[in-house]
Amino acid sequence: MSLWSNLSGGLRTLFGRRAEREMDDELRGYLEASAADKIRAGMNPDEAWHAARVEMGSMETVKDEIRAAGWEAAVAALVRDLRYSLRVLAKAPLFTAVVVLTLALGIGANTAIFSLLDAILLRTLPVEKPEDLVEVTHNSFTNPLWEQVRDRQDVFSGVFAWGDDRFNLSRGGAVDSVTGLWVSGDYFRTLGLRPAAGRLFTTADDHRGCPALAVLSHSFWQERYSGAAAAIGGPISVNGQPFQIVGVSPAGFFGTEPGTRFDVAIPICAAQIFDGPRTRLDQRSWWWLSVVGRLKPGMGWARMKARLAALSPEIYGAAVPQNWDSRSQDNFRKRVLKPEPAATGLSGLRRQYVEPLRVLMAIAALVLLIACANIASLLLARAAARGKEMALRQALGASRLRLVRQLLVESMLLSLAGAALGLLFARWGNLVLVRYLSTLRNKVVLDFSLDLRVLAFTTGVALVTALLFGLAPAFRGTRVSLTSAIKEGNVSHRGPRGHLRLWIVASQVALSLVLLVTAGLLLRSFWKLSTVDIGFDRNQVLLVNANLTKSHLPPELNTAVFERIEEGLRGLPGVISASRSWTSPLAGVEWNTNIVSDVPNPPAGDDALAYFNFVSPSYFETLRTPLVAGRNLNRGDVLTAPAIAVINQTLARRFYPGVNPVGRTFREEGEARKLDPPVEIVGIVRDSKYGSVREDTFPTVFRPLSQMPVSPSTAFEIRTAAPLAAMRPAITAAVAAVNKEIPIEIHTLAAQVDDTMTRERLLAALSAFFGGLALLLAMIGLYGTLSYLVAGRRVEFGIRMALGARSRTILGLVMRDVLALLVGGLAAGLALSLATGRLLGTLLFDLQPRDASTMAMAAAVLAAVSVAASLLAARRATQVDPMVALRHE
Amino acid sequence: MKEPVGSLVQGTLDMLILKTLALEPMHGYGIGQRIEQISQGVFRVNPGSLFPALRRLERAGWVKASWKATDNNRQAKFYTLTPRGRKALDSETGEWNRQMAAIVRILEAT
Repeated sequence: MSLWSNLSGGLRTLFGRRAEREMDDELRGYLEASAADKIRAGMNPDEAWHAARVEMGSMETVKDEIRAAGWEAAVAALVRDLRYSLRVLAKAPLFTAVVVLTLALGIGANTAIFSLLDAILLRTLPVEKPEDLVEVTHNSFTNPLWEQVRDRQDVFSGVFAWGDDRFNLSRGGAVDSVTGLWVSGDYFRTLGLRPAAGRLFTTADDHRGCPALAVLSHSFWQERYSGAAAAIGGPISVNGQPFQIVGVSPAGFFGTEPGTRFDVAIPICAAQIFDGPRTRLDQRSWWWLSVVGRLKPGMGWARMKARLAALSPEIYGAAVPQNWDSRSQDNFRKRVLKPEPAATGLSGLRRQYVEPLRVLMAIAALVLLIACANIASLLLARAAARGKEMALRQALGASRLRLVRQLLVESMLLSLAGAALGLLFARWGNLVLVRYLSTLRNKVVLDFSLDLRVLAFTTGVALVTALLFGLAPAFRGTRVSLTSAIKEGNVSHRGPRGHLRLWIVASQVALSLVLLVTAGLLLRSFWKLSTVDIGFDRNQVLLVNANLTKSHLPPELNTAVFERIEEGLRGLPGVISASRSWTSPLAGVEWNTNIVSDVPNPPAGDDALAYFNFVSPSYFETLRTPLVAGRNLNRGDVLTAPAIAVINQTLARRFYPGVNPVGRTFREEGEARKLDPPVEIVGIVRDSKYGSVREDTFPTVFRPLSQMPVSPSTAFEIRTAAPLAAMRPAITAAVAAVNKEIPIEIHTLAAQVDDTMTRERLLAALSAFFGGLALLLAMIGLYGTLSYLVAGRRVEFGIRMALGARSRTILGLVMRDVLALLVGGLAAGLALSLATGRLLGTLLFDLQPRDASTMAMAAAVLAAVSVAASLLAARRATQVDPMVALRHE
Repeated sequence: MKEPVGSLVQGTLDMLILKTLALEPMHGYGIGQRIEQISQGVFRVNPGSLFPALRRLERAGWVKASWKATDNNRQAKFYTLTPRGRKALDSETGEWNRQMAAIVRILEAT
């Protein structure tokens, strides 16, 4: 009631003329009543009216005081300030444009990074009550383990499992690879989702021997089927098997992993359709699922956690992997299920990008700070020029506070305009950023719709920015001596104002150095990473992944078909060499197992782990990985010949210390820790990377493909002299010539290598961009400030020159100040870099955050550019015409 | 015809206005007169403080205003105490009495 009467009363006064009229009437009534009283007391009317008016005092003052009693007075004043500020800014369009643009860049950069941070880290899932979702952690679950959790838990009102995968939707030829989800029956119900069309899965759809059903995501349904209702109930081919589409998930739902977007979901039980009798559904060491539950109402976190722990022994006990050794099995039984909040989903992207995003956020903030400094400096200069205006307004009775307020309103206006434009820049920036994050395999899809958090962030940044760059100039600008300002018609440029600007420039130099050092470190780190010796030549190599899973060929023919394709590819014009392997380098697929070398005390336990690949004889030639000892694999190494292998140098060093491994043997640990028959080492190749560029080289075994268990999928490597793009049609044709139904996927080895460096590439590119921007801003600031100071000392220089000073002396005079400033700024910047470098620690590859040469280089670049900018400005000091300067005074 | 004008003890004007209005609805001039009369000329309220105070009280929802005819048939803005205003008056009066008694005790202590 009170709030309402306050609000409505205020609004009526603000927007109505009636309130004013009422106030007039009331006061006039008061005067009349007062005068009437006095007349009744015996005064004559004239005297009475006079006395009444004297008692009231100035009617306008009384009215002002009444107005000031409500909040609307402040609003009215603000509106006046806004109008005035708009007029002032409109009169200086160039100034306004420069400031708004600078701010738009600075605030836009911050908003772009923050939106990314928001989308990856902060946004909750678009599902019902996301805050009740709990991830049950055990890196990944096997299906038997998940089934135990599902059947034994009593803390969740719903629990589901899911696994991500790539599904091939084509019926042959080029692969049509989409993002797939394996989901348990309760997936959609637990998330509280309603179908956009058709129906979603229920628990009834998820049982052994279930029919082949699929649910599409809304976006996929729109893209592929234009949202046609006829698609529901229609067929879809998933990895060559016929499935039926039963429904579409709601719009905006992308799965539970921010950064990805699923296209097609199928029930977990459908794995049997692909796997056959030895399905992964029964495999106790096939880790492919994640588990999320929804907390029962009224179930507290602590109780749920305790209950999960209590249930763990029986859950794990019933799903022990049979092929593990007894110690590992015991450890497995002792494991405990732990809950993690899952309101924002589970994201691999998040783990990978938490740190880089924090660093980028800090970098963007620094850039904005430097931009702020430029604007503050600009405003100070403007304040000096507006000294007369300020003096006049103060002389006319405006309080200093009132002027400060108006100047701050000007700053706020500039800042908000910059923020609005910055939001536009940010949207564009986000698109670029997402492209940087995406790889061949993972197309990153993020929700950048403007949410409240981003808006609040941007507004907050704009307001803080306005205070940062506006406060000091506002106070400085209004501290004018009335008499001197009005008398001289010009306010002095010298004195403390100039000093403040020098301070600002010095701090800009310092901050720029921090950014340059950061950019330098990240760039060099990326350079080191991209030039690190990966052990093979990534250029001019095409990779072809082929899969026979659904080619209707008997499996025993697989090898023959693959060999014919390899021959066909080798025969193509322009092909230098072609090979085949189980996996290509850095493809993100691993095959590892423990091996026992035939030396006394061979490495054991975790140290005994070796990584495997199976390759054709021409593999090393195609990748240009040289043989350093022994012989290469050859056509004679068939399945019936003795088991042999080529190893890399790291394996030789670790497993055969001090002996020549060629001619020695090792044995693999097979299922249930039984040792397989010995394998003889026939050669050693140079070290090369297996899983990632960053890794220390893994001990690797290369065995002949012909001695490998039959596999339905394979990779071909093709080294060619021809342009890679031109090779694609020829390759497709060569594969189709052998079998038209084989799905293939072609990309370059270079791209596959690059994809393992997305994070570093993003950091390097952005930090270089921001570093450059910071340098540019700082130099503009330096140049502007110096020009201004030089202009202020024109008369002094004129006199000096008239007295015979040479231009070099004058130049020296100016540059002396600049050098002091530079040295101070650089020193502070170096100290800051040393203090903050730690934050980069884990992001750098083969480089220390306090790398001296990088710091020296950054400082040298900054110093050189600064001196150049200063010289440019200082030169104007020497071009002063003494006569003109003196006459002007 | 200058008279010494009694200045009000800080913050009591609102309470006096509320008290005056508790008797009957009144217009601005009447409120001023009534306060002067009852205090036997000790307090004189000038329009520069009276009307802002009334605006404050109106915004707080403690008084309501409406235009009515006066005794001599002119339109004037009459202020009425609202129930919330009455409650506020009671609590302010209680507080005032408590403080007053304390001050008196201090002043009379020997």
